[in-house]
Amino acid sequence: MDLAVYILKRIVVSILTLLLVAAITFFLMNAIPGSPFMTEKSTPEQIALANAKYGLDKPVPVQFLNYLGNLAHGDMGVSLKMQQGTSVSKILFGQGKFILSIKLGLLALFFAVLIGIPLGVVSAYFRGKWIDSILRVVTTLGIAMPGFVVATLMLFQFAVALHWLPVQSDSLETPASYVMPVICLALNPLCRIVKLTRTSMLDSINQDYIRTARAKGLKTKLILFKHALRNSLIPVITYLGPLTAGIITGALVVEQIFHIPGLGNYFVTSILNRDYPVIMGTTILLAVLIIFMNLVVDIAYKFVDPRINITKKRGR
Amino acid sequence: MDGKKSFQVFHTHTDSILDMNRFSEDDFQKANDDEKRSMVQMHKSVSFWQDGWRRFRRNYVSMGASLLFFVILLFAFIGPLFIDYSYEEQYRSAQKLAPMQYSEMEQMARDLLDGGVDGLYATSTKAGSLTAIRKGDWYFTVKGKTYAFHLDKAIEKATLMCDVEAEDPVVIGKDKDWDPEAKAFTETTPLETTDTPAEGAKELVLDKGVFPHVFGTDSQGRDLMARCMYGSRVSIIIGIVAALIVLVIGALYGSISGFFGGKVDAVMMRIVDLIYSVPDVLIVLLLQVVLKDPLQHWFDTSKSPLAVAMSSLGVGIVSIFITFALLYWVGMARIIRGQVLQLKEQEYVTAATVLGASSARIIRRHLLPNCVGQLIIQTCLQIPSAIFLESFLSYLGLGVSAPMASLGSLCSDAKETFLLFPYRLLFPAIILSLIVLSLNLIGDGLRDALDPRLKN
Repeated sequence: MDLAVYILKRIVVSILTLLLVAAITFFLMNAIPGSPFMTEKSTPEQIALANAKYGLDKPVPVQFLNYLGNLAHGDMGVSLKMQQGTSVSKILFGQGKFILSIKLGLLALFFAVLIGIPLGVVSAYFRGKWIDSILRVVTTLGIAMPGFVVATLMLFQFAVALHWLPVQSDSLETPASYVMPVICLALNPLCRIVKLTRTSMLDSINQDYIRTARAKGLKTKLILFKHALRNSLIPVITYLGPLTAGIITGALVVEQIFHIPGLGNYFVTSILNRDYPVIMGTTILLAVLIIFMNLVVDIAYKFVDPRINITKKRGR
Repeated sequence: MDGKKSFQVFHTHTDSILDMNRFSEDDFQKANDDEKRSMVQMHKSVSFWQDGWRRFRRNYVSMGASLLFFVILLFAFIGPLFIDYSYEEQYRSAQKLAPMQYSEMEQMARDLLDGGVDGLYATSTKAGSLTAIRKGDWYFTVKGKTYAFHLDKAIEKATLMCDVEAEDPVVIGKDKDWDPEAKAFTETTPLETTDTPAEGAKELVLDKGVFPHVFGTDSQGRDLMARCMYGSRVSIIIGIVAALIVLVIGALYGSISGFFGGKVDAVMMRIVDLIYSVPDVLIVLLLQVVLKDPLQHWFDTSKSPLAVAMSSLGVGIVSIFITFALLYWVGMARIIRGQVLQLKEQEYVTAATVLGASSARIIRRHLLPNCVGQLIIQTCLQIPSAIFLESFLSYLGLGVSAPMASLGSLCSDAKETFLLFPYRLLFPAIILSLIVLSLNLIGDGLRDALDPRLKN
């Protein structure tokens, strides 16, 4: 019962957040002076006509309500500039952009978690040894390097100097084209996961139950992976929300550098082109992804650790 | 263990204890200075800052990072005084130079200087800077005679040479006369002598030589090292100002929310929760786009000192500040609220309340000063994240725009030609990474040193 209330509450908050994002996006877009139809050639009459056609002549709050209503039906309007007349949902989902970005993002997420956690355990286990020192240096560097730096460095080394991998990944047709984008996307979150796992492993290794397990004569491996790791995964799970946001942010840059025609790349271009409906549609879609992930994490968190008081706020 | 021992002593030596009650005359003398001093506690009281500094000093990684950051600060703020180039000047004929390379003209001036020219004069130059030479007349003084050379397009096809020992010390060799096998000109023309340098020609400082383009130049002939210095200055300033904005808003909001508690706290924290769950980067991108035109309009029309001051920063930087003021203070607010919630139960706050201090005074004088450790740690960790975000935005072409430069926009400028000129991206990228790295490490060290929860 408690849990059901909690989940319900979280869902309501998520929907509220989503509405807030939609509102912010919409009103910000409308705050831009000038019309998207403004070109050097267009006359005021033409602009007025185009405004009327796309409903841009109505008051802003009315436009917003219309937009929300349409959004509920899955209608996100039509692109005004970049692919004039094509519906935004078709651009986002119909042209393979979404799938491409999702594939890339999931792979990055997968590798970040799958490599990050064991490395964190190793680092904690060998605390103070050379392997731990190396890992700490590498992860600190990995966090400090912006994604575009990593991407361009790799591009230069592996594609241009060594010719091992293709310079442009394009639509990710070959497995080799996945390598660099995925590494670039995964590196920063991976390093954060290693650090996080290490800290929380060290925390739990110092707990009493580990001493008990040791006193019982259990094998180190068993203690490490069965007793310590389980409890130290909780902070890592909470990190999955921000991690999703981080990967989406990273995708904006990485897709541009590797010329991948994904959602991130298109989003940046649409921002630079001021194609309002496309910007709004993409923002809301990405926000849905992030908010949904946060929701899943919050609920999973409750299941993983029943001790956690659900009304307590977790820190940033 | 100790207690047991004294217990035994008590029992076995009762007589000696009774002896303690017997006093002699000497026992009632005034204590001398030495004896007084022995009663003074030996440990000096250690203040919060001394304690923090002691811990921080012992952390070699953070000390190393501080040193690194200090070096970068010197590079960014003092460095421009020592190089001849400015960040925005486009030096013709010095385009697309590799690191440590000289342009043709600079190379020629260098050779002339090496060949023994006593004085070098040129018109239309910045004093002391050989690279500022464009077109005009050059004058050389060799062995008391002055030679004139008109610098024009011919310079592309000819080379000036100087040999003090020869009969005609300064000669011109044309490219068509170049013999690649002998590595010499088959025919050279001596330069004419004149009486005096033309008016307005300034002597170029000889002992300075020609300053190399340490990081090379970009496609417009701007010196990359000067631009990197300028860019790191801009990036660091953006980081610090953004962190200060976050500090002020977050500390105020958090302390008010924590101090008043109850319904005020509940409402204020719901707002924080909501802002916190908004995907920040998406909104930041939107704000960057949306704020551009209204801000530009405001800068152009308003004459208020604020608008003038801000317009000198440029639209991109101001909108970065605005986004930080809108979105990024929530983390700070949460932490300060947590601290204040604990602190306000302390006796000194009750005492202040009883003495009639107003809420504002209690927050200002009692609560915030006691959060100072957290405030410093959070602010210090905010700086690299602000620099990170700024470089991200600038890289996408949204943040800082020309003619200003930040490390992010330098990287962005270099990305198109990255495959041809990788060093143009490498230098700003390395500096950017070093700044973020050192600040992260300093922040971690400060947290270890100043966070009272981590003591023991």
